[in-house]
Amino acid sequence: MEKVLFKYVEEPQQYLIDNYIKNGGYQALPKVLKDFTPDELIEEVKKSGVRGRGGAGFPAGLKWSFVPKTDVKPKYLCCNADESEPGTCKDRVLMECDPHMVIEGCIIAAFAIQAHHAFIYIRGEFAYPAFRMEEAVNEAYGKGYLGKNILGSGFDLDMIVHTGGGAYICGEETALLSSLEGDRGMSRIRPPFPAIEGLYSCPTVVNNVETLASIPHIINRGVDWYRTYGTEKSAGSKIFSLSGNVNRPGNYEVELGTPLSYVINELGGGIQTGHKLKAIIPGGSSTPLLMPDQIDTPLDYEAVAEAGSMLGSGAIIVIDERACMVWVAMKLINFYQHESCGKCTPCREGTLWLKRLINRIEHGEGKKGDIELILDICENIMGRTICPLGDAAVMPTESIIKHFRDEFEYHIEHKKCKVKTDYAFE
Amino acid sequence: MILNDATIKEITTRMERYPSRKSAILPALTYAYRQVGHLDAPVYKELSKIIDIPYVEIAEAASFYTMFPKKEVGRYLIQVCHNISCSLRGADNMLIYMQEKLGIKMGETTPDNLFTLISVECLGGCSAAPMMQVNQTFYEDLTREKIDKILADLSAEAEKDGK
Amino acid sequence: MSDNGKEQITLTIDGREVTVDKGTTVLEAARSIGIDIPYFCWHPKLDSVGACRMCLVAIEKFPKPVVSCATDVMPGMVVRTDTDEIVKARRGVLEFLLLNHPLDCPTCDKGGECDLQDNVFSNGIDTSRQTFLRNRVIDEETKTTFDDKRIGPEIIRNMNRCVTCFKCVRFNKEIAGEFDLGVYQRGSSTVIDTPPGEPIDNLYSGNVVEICPVGALTNTDWRYKVRVWKTKQADSISSYDADGQNIKLYYDHRLIHRAMSRPNDDVDEGWICNIARYGYQYINSLDRITKPLIKKEGQQVEATWDEAIKLIAKRFKEIKDKKGSVCIAGLTGGNLSTETNYLFNKFFRHNLHSNSVDYRLENIDLKDGVETAAYNCLSAAPFKIADLEKADTILIFASNFIKDHPIVNLRLRKAHRKNGARVYTANPVVTKSADISVDELIYQPDTEAAFLIALIHAVIDHKLYKNIDESKAAEIKTVLKPASLSEAAGICGIDEARITELARALAAGENLYILAGEYLKASQHRHTIANGLFNLANLLGVDDDKAAILATHANSIGADRVGLRPNLSASLAETLASKWEAELPDSSGCSTSQIFKGALGEEIDSIFIMGANPAMRYPDGPFVNAALDKLDFLVVADLFETATTAKADVVLPLAGWSEQSGSYVNLEGRYQPFSKALPSKQGVKTGIEIIRSLAEAMEAPLGLDDKTLETETKEVVDSWKREPRAVDTFYDVKQSGVIDHGDFPYRLLIGNDLHHYGYLSEHCPSLMRFTSDVYLEMSPNLAEKLKIADGDLVRVESSTGKLVLKVRFSEYFEGEVLFIPNNFSSVEVNHLVSREGGGWVKIEKLDDK
Ligand SMILES: Cc1cc2nc3c(=O)[nH]c(=O)nc-3n(C[C@H](O)[C@H](O)[C@H](O)COP(=O)(O)O)c2cc1C
Ligand code: SF4
Ligand code: FES
Repeated sequence: MEKVLFKYVEEPQQYLIDNYIKNGGYQALPKVLKDFTPDELIEEVKKSGVRGRGGAGFPAGLKWSFVPKTDVKPKYLCCNADESEPGTCKDRVLMECDPHMVIEGCIIAAFAIQAHHAFIYIRGEFAYPAFRMEEAVNEAYGKGYLGKNILGSGFDLDMIVHTGGGAYICGEETALLSSLEGDRGMSRIRPPFPAIEGLYSCPTVVNNVETLASIPHIINRGVDWYRTYGTEKSAGSKIFSLSGNVNRPGNYEVELGTPLSYVINELGGGIQTGHKLKAIIPGGSSTPLLMPDQIDTPLDYEAVAEAGSMLGSGAIIVIDERACMVWVAMKLINFYQHESCGKCTPCREGTLWLKRLINRIEHGEGKKGDIELILDICENIMGRTICPLGDAAVMPTESIIKHFRDEFEYHIEHKKCKVKTDYAFE
Repeated sequence: MILNDATIKEITTRMERYPSRKSAILPALTYAYRQVGHLDAPVYKELSKIIDIPYVEIAEAASFYTMFPKKEVGRYLIQVCHNISCSLRGADNMLIYMQEKLGIKMGETTPDNLFTLISVECLGGCSAAPMMQVNQTFYEDLTREKIDKILADLSAEAEKDGK
Repeated sequence: MSDNGKEQITLTIDGREVTVDKGTTVLEAARSIGIDIPYFCWHPKLDSVGACRMCLVAIEKFPKPVVSCATDVMPGMVVRTDTDEIVKARRGVLEFLLLNHPLDCPTCDKGGECDLQDNVFSNGIDTSRQTFLRNRVIDEETKTTFDDKRIGPEIIRNMNRCVTCFKCVRFNKEIAGEFDLGVYQRGSSTVIDTPPGEPIDNLYSGNVVEICPVGALTNTDWRYKVRVWKTKQADSISSYDADGQNIKLYYDHRLIHRAMSRPNDDVDEGWICNIARYGYQYINSLDRITKPLIKKEGQQVEATWDEAIKLIAKRFKEIKDKKGSVCIAGLTGGNLSTETNYLFNKFFRHNLHSNSVDYRLENIDLKDGVETAAYNCLSAAPFKIADLEKADTILIFASNFIKDHPIVNLRLRKAHRKNGARVYTANPVVTKSADISVDELIYQPDTEAAFLIALIHAVIDHKLYKNIDESKAAEIKTVLKPASLSEAAGICGIDEARITELARALAAGENLYILAGEYLKASQHRHTIANGLFNLANLLGVDDDKAAILATHANSIGADRVGLRPNLSASLAETLASKWEAELPDSSGCSTSQIFKGALGEEIDSIFIMGANPAMRYPDGPFVNAALDKLDFLVVADLFETATTAKADVVLPLAGWSEQSGSYVNLEGRYQPFSKALPSKQGVKTGIEIIRSLAEAMEAPLGLDDKTLETETKEVVDSWKREPRAVDTFYDVKQSGVIDHGDFPYRLLIGNDLHHYGYLSEHCPSLMRFTSDVYLEMSPNLAEKLKIADGDLVRVESSTGKLVLKVRFSEYFEGEVLFIPNNFSSVEVNHLVSREGGGWVKIEKLDDK
């Protein structure tokens, strides 16, 4: 497949505006401003079938169309660059290597919903990507792609690069908005949905970096071209962050529907030499496991769901036989417990309880009945929380127990690991 | 005053760009952290005056975000990712190595006040694991050798600055 | 559509159909038909946050259970609150909340009224799967779990008990607009605390304890005193400000133990200020007077009631016989019940034949003693607190609203928060309301009239008036002095453009309120100001009930309605005459200042003061003290020894408001009865008992038993009728230029401290924990100019007196205005002000030594 988002990712200075333009950048924007009304643009994006790359896979065009057109309130666009889901590190590459692509996508999306303020919410730890984005935004102002009366179209847009402070929850769209407003990054109850009442209680669209970066390509080369990639329901290409026990971890762009085995074996060079595949987390740490026999699952939203997991943010974490799965479960629950915003009871208290239980099993102090208790606690969290963080904590836990219950039982009975995790550091 | 003119300038210019002043809290915390090296009540008080937002709101927001140390730390704050992707590539053993190397335990600062070592959740360097962040800089695909060099370079840099 | 014009929605809950207003939540709809959905974080007056997840319900066609507290009803919704899934979910939440809850119910002061206890009792399970230490919250510094921590003068926080409903912080920020409590950390480490190093001490802080569903926040006032189920409760009304806060007193056979809100949506919506909450404590005080005192050879000595009453009767008779009854005057304080005032009035007018009675004790009186029509009219405006929330534009004028009207202030904030009302404030100092004001105008001290004149000029110059024509407008302009906007604006020291802007904003308001308060009432020029306000209201077409000068004391309006003032309207005089079946005396009565002046002259020989302390509170100390000293015979009935009782020939121990039943009439004219909480302290008598026995001793019993007294009082209150504002009337308004005060350059304002009201609150230990002593408040700018630091000692000197005080900076002060609270008996603040000169002072920093 011809690379779309990663076409110039190896180019050393693609982040400079002149290079971006030289390589065909900022052509979609003038076209949009000249040839499209906002409605036509939304229609076009709907037709392209591009779906949100932030995790939920919600059709982008449809989301934009929810923004009230008659509302006199200002509208806002937020580019979600919080990228904190363990395993995910793709947006960072786009921002570091091709920031103008993201910016161009943002301007087009802002035009579609008639927003005059766009925010790029970047996780605080990403100082360098934020710096690249900031520089790029300044360049774009300099060339008249941002600011007042963009390219003489009469459309104004202010773009602000905003950095976070170290909180995974701020990737969740409503928490992101709270954080952007200067509050603690706590999720808010929906409805109202952000498209109706988001930032400063005004209609707001939140899209992932990769989603927005895809937009200029769709405009430049057309819906039909875009649809030649991917499947009927999962159109286009997507970046997968491959990490864990493979020979060549990295970010790889493939078209949706590509078999998981291709990414792991061909692109990633297979499981780390000398080791055997044990399990795969296909879509970021919050998604249920796929087992070795599912390695040929096509990477599209539908197929992965059918296989019992989720495509999520496209972060493939490969686990080989050296890992104790209780240890894996512990690593994950410790993360979610640390990141719960604390607003709702099941998430706040439940993740802590799970953390204590799983840690005690891992440390050889598990008690009989702990597994059942864990599963029951999971049931009491699942679907009971404000935002999906609660679910995100539960899904991998349940899935790991489902597939590797024996390891948990062994731990409780023998007070030690069935497989002693020991990844060397050399 | 703790915050210097440059920091205040950065904060106020940024503040003016937002539709609401309060939005500037997080950037302000970031700028303050970069200057001071940590955040605490006296800093919140100053920020509260600069942004004209109640003191409590600054303190509340700051406490929510774990990226800013709330107590003084060494010149270099080493944050090692111990989440799943890094752990699968040896982060746990790397942490042991670093503690030995620096002669401190997790959360401690070296006696010369140069290094503070902590572990953190996923930093978004998963496919270049194991990795760590020192102040604002990412170091990825780490090995023993690389760590030795990074620490040596940082010590040298500090010495050069006369610290 | 229903009667209230709102769309109606019908849905089914647990098989029962219910119809409610659109915008109602499922939880409220269920409550309306008696289905109680358990909750922690929901509160009827706070925005829903859906955090605790206790109120989950199942709704047909919804994939997951939803929180009923934040889900609006929709037509045809089918809701179930009792499915297996919901029962399990609730148990789950309760189990989560109990994981780290200390289960110290036996020693927890919330026991018996704790939502967690109640919800576990009715929805929980009785086994525990918790096998870890109950220590969710660990203090990072000390590595210990959080036990009791004092976070404010009155509040103790126990974080382990907290269920993280955020109600406390939400109330504080949303309703009170206060920022001294916050949420810190996140996830399972979340804690509720004050900002680092600062206490929670805002005026409404007691409410956070009241709405805490568990014992995480407790009051030192109530802690470890008594179990709630061992107390009795009495419905009461706060005895301080005129807002009429509804409270409930909890008491046992000995003491009152606490006051809580008694939600009344028309008045307070369930929020009360700290003065109402802790202000009952003076009743319990051990310093109360319990025996009558009689002055013998210059010394007050203890006496029996019999002796005291007989002596008063004898002396009144003598004075009456010698000089006629007109030379005996009566004064009552602002928190006597309406019934007491009624009987007091009858005693004076009917038995003593004196019309010299008054309740207006704290404002400098006027030369002729008679309030003008404009002033009377605006003071009696049929203003309704609850309606204020619908306002779209509000001008708060001459009032430090939070101090004068703590509860109306919350309504003001609600109007702003809920309906986006544009608030403007105009005051001689910056006030708390500034934070919600579009513009806050600060006029030079004592230029209220000039400010209004300027505003009226702006209204006329820009043709912003309603209901009158141009020629009438031109005519009105001629009765104004200064005659132009620029001149008037110059006097009050506000930019013309801002005044014009304000005029435009007010004229644009469709539901405009203009509320004036204490600074106006206390002013010597209050008639002129009232005239100006009257004109302004008419020019802008403000409705009759929306332009008001608000009353101040708990029962000023009640006293007024039953005629406790020298000059009565014809209709009231007639009502009283017919009730008493007697002519009212035809002698002219004296108002407060005339009474004092009369005492200095030969006209007044004796005064009977009940429940008031003019020697301390009347804003001209030297004058009133001289007057009291000169009297032939002074009788004072009060709860404590005061500067006034010290001068009395007979002191009578008076019962407090809660030791009897009675009624108050609040600033809206709302008649609110309150019940007796405790029997009177031994040795004291209620005002009514005192008057009765005095009348009997004078052989002219008043003939009103308790029941008749109550009904008669109520009838008189109800019979009161107000003249509506004459909308085509305009008065002259004049203000001369600013007077130069020479050696005394700074305007001194005296009034209530934020946490005190009147002179009784200093006997409440809780309130003393907020402010325990007098201070001189000034702006940091003035302090800088005078090289004074916060906490320095300064000498404050006026033409009539001087004092040494500690300086306190105030963020609310701007310019060269000073403030001293007059709630503390330790310092004679009123000696610095005089009736003629107002309060103008100079200050001088003292050396530390
Ligand atoms: C706990 C949590 C964390 C999330 N983190 C991210 C994130 O880091 N980046 C992101 O783009 N979306 C994240 N999301 C998804 C966002 O809520 C939102 O759906 C997404 O930004 C929408 O963009 P899209 O439609 O372009 O995918 C997260 C969601 C949850 C529940
Ligand atoms: S302290 Fe009380 S009111 Fe505040 S959040 Fe905790 S439980 Fe709720
Ligand atoms: S509410 Fe979503 S993390 Fe707790």
